[in-house]
Amino acid sequence: MKRYLQALSILALIIFLAACNSEGSASTGNGEKTVIEYWHVNAETQGGKTVTQLVEDFNQQSDTVEVVAKYNPDMYKGLMQNLQAEAAAGNSPAVVQVGWSFLNYFSDNFHYVSPQTVIDEHFPDDKTFLQDKFLPNVMDLAKNGDGEQVGIPYSLSSPVLYINRDLLREAGLDENGPKTWEEVKEFSEVIKEKTGKYGFYMQEPADNWATQALLESNGARFITDGKATFASDEGIEAYQLLRDMVVEDETALHIGWDQGIQSFIDGSVAMAYTTIAQRSNIQSNAQFDAAAVRSPGWEGKDVRLPAGGAMLSITAEEEDQQKAAWEFMRYLYSVESMAEWTKGTGYVPPRNDVAEAENGLKTFLEENEMMSAAIEQMDGVVPWASFPGDSGLEAEQLLLDLRDQILGGSISVEEGLKSTEEEINELLQ
Amino acid sequence: MSTLILVREKLHINKENALGYILLIPSIVIFAVFTFWPLFYTVYLSFFDWNMISPSKEFVGLRNYFDVLTDPRTYQILGNTFLYIVLLLVINCVVPYIFAFVIDVVLTRLKGFYKSAMFLPAFISLVVGSILFTWILNPVSGPLAIIFGWVGLEIPNWTKTEGWIIVVLSIITSWKVFGYNFILLYASINGISREIIENARMDNIPLWRIFLQIILPMSSATGIYVFIITIVQSLQYVFTPVKVVSQGGPDYASSNLIYHAYHEAFVVFRTGHSATISIITMALFLLLLFLEFKFVERRIYYEN
Repeated sequence: MKRYLQALSILALIIFLAACNSEGSASTGNGEKTVIEYWHVNAETQGGKTVTQLVEDFNQQSDTVEVVAKYNPDMYKGLMQNLQAEAAAGNSPAVVQVGWSFLNYFSDNFHYVSPQTVIDEHFPDDKTFLQDKFLPNVMDLAKNGDGEQVGIPYSLSSPVLYINRDLLREAGLDENGPKTWEEVKEFSEVIKEKTGKYGFYMQEPADNWATQALLESNGARFITDGKATFASDEGIEAYQLLRDMVVEDETALHIGWDQGIQSFIDGSVAMAYTTIAQRSNIQSNAQFDAAAVRSPGWEGKDVRLPAGGAMLSITAEEEDQQKAAWEFMRYLYSVESMAEWTKGTGYVPPRNDVAEAENGLKTFLEENEMMSAAIEQMDGVVPWASFPGDSGLEAEQLLLDLRDQILGGSISVEEGLKSTEEEINELLQ
Repeated sequence: MSTLILVREKLHINKENALGYILLIPSIVIFAVFTFWPLFYTVYLSFFDWNMISPSKEFVGLRNYFDVLTDPRTYQILGNTFLYIVLLLVINCVVPYIFAFVIDVVLTRLKGFYKSAMFLPAFISLVVGSILFTWILNPVSGPLAIIFGWVGLEIPNWTKTEGWIIVVLSIITSWKVFGYNFILLYASINGISREIIENARMDNIPLWRIFLQIILPMSSATGIYVFIITIVQSLQYVFTPVKVVSQGGPDYASSNLIYHAYHEAFVVFRTGHSATISIITMALFLLLLFLEFKFVERRIYYEN
């Protein structure tokens, strides 16, 4: 019995010492660096490699801060959910990417600190950094309903139409692609008839970004004065066109996002409407003459394209973490890093001086015509609709459910849009 | 102190069995922390409206139960759940039963090869299997669609079609479960005395009667185990392909009770609804288990 007790107490001592040891190393870190977490949504095909590269470079040149990048699957919604879970557990990362559609939800439900506040407190030299380097209307994208600056725009994107020129030529169509949505429908019919391939695919991830571009370009508005208003005549007309292509004509595909892009890349679909952030993926994998053209509009109307992408927001609680967060962000917003980011992802740089700078994107843009479609249409960019209040996620989910119902043909466009609008407005009260 | 004495009397603790009780403590603690506590907490949460992040929970009484039970979606998902169970019972219980019988009793050669071949997929992670199948079965440009295209056939757009999505997800799930169930049933059939089977064969009894009247009753102890475990797995294992492939879509057509509880809690953050669905699910399966014990268990043949 005595020897047993002896062994037990030694074991307890070892565990105790080990626990002390691990605690010690966690608080001081490697070589006194402040360790912060950076949460992003960039999978390997969407700029993940560039994130890794930028973080590595930053860590190498910084003596004070060590950044750990963490990938969150399922895009901005997935990140928001993980953040929610982490915040419930009491620990949050220092810098996060917040998708535009979650701007209000994020600022209502999470603790964050405005970047300008951190700059004013600790970095007097950077005081005018944000004013000097960013256009005011771009900075406005990251303001919430109350006009507070929640973060800084980081990834800016807009939807473009990727076209398979080989297939268009084969079908005897204009190889510069359609200009309006009406033409998209006509083109698709011809393609189906002449080549037997599908004409069109509109991206279907877990958000309603592309849907907003389609509806709002026709004059509908997703949100007016905090209420859902997408079920207007224009909204119904726009959605009807997409539904008819999928359900009636069977010239457009209705499948998951990965499968849809895969089908465009291997030449089974002639046109794909998706984010400019897919440029890199499509450019390097497509075996045919691929091009990107400006987002189609509606006959005689101006396009309204929701700004896609994300801002960077500081969620760090401790002061040293907040300081480290800004140091890292300042690095990410330098001309060189911005240029790398654009090259790796196809996002349009939010800073006003990157496109022309020699150490920025000048030569890159000359070589990559696909990018110009996205940069040319930046004047049509509007904020991404973001439902206010606690029920933001639920409202977003209702619209996703509706997409399956309409494109699956189980409900008429008018009935679906109207009942969903009512349901969302009830939720938002 | 008096309560302690009361407990001692109640449990009949004495010198002989004290050690037994002490040795039970670790597993009781584990059960309490990982099973009973979450269960009680789930019951507790089902009476509150909470988004998992806000510091305050609002007490709403039975409103969550009312909401869930009046929501037509709940019944759609309940239907999906039973469809999954039926499909997986066929794929993972009936079919492996027949396979095990054929390989053990009917075949004379290559038994070893079939045994390992059938079990092999069980090694592969369901997530990997799901991603693999999403690619293979891409209705427009996947390899299977191309092969079908050669003979002029088309693959249904299963990820977005009600009904088909459940069938395909069940097949993906069976990849993982089939082999394990097969090996269990094979072992059980293999243990049946050869003399009985040989006698029956000498008397020219057809194979289907051998299966139904000899094999099935004599291996029923394992059979019922596989039956129940398949029901449980078709609730739980289905979660992985649902999460990876369809996220419950299109419009909840592939969601089952377990996935929906997850969806309510971790996608739209209505923990109250999620907890309510979990409790209802548990009640439902307690009832099924009770029925099983009452009507099926008694008729099972246990060798020893």
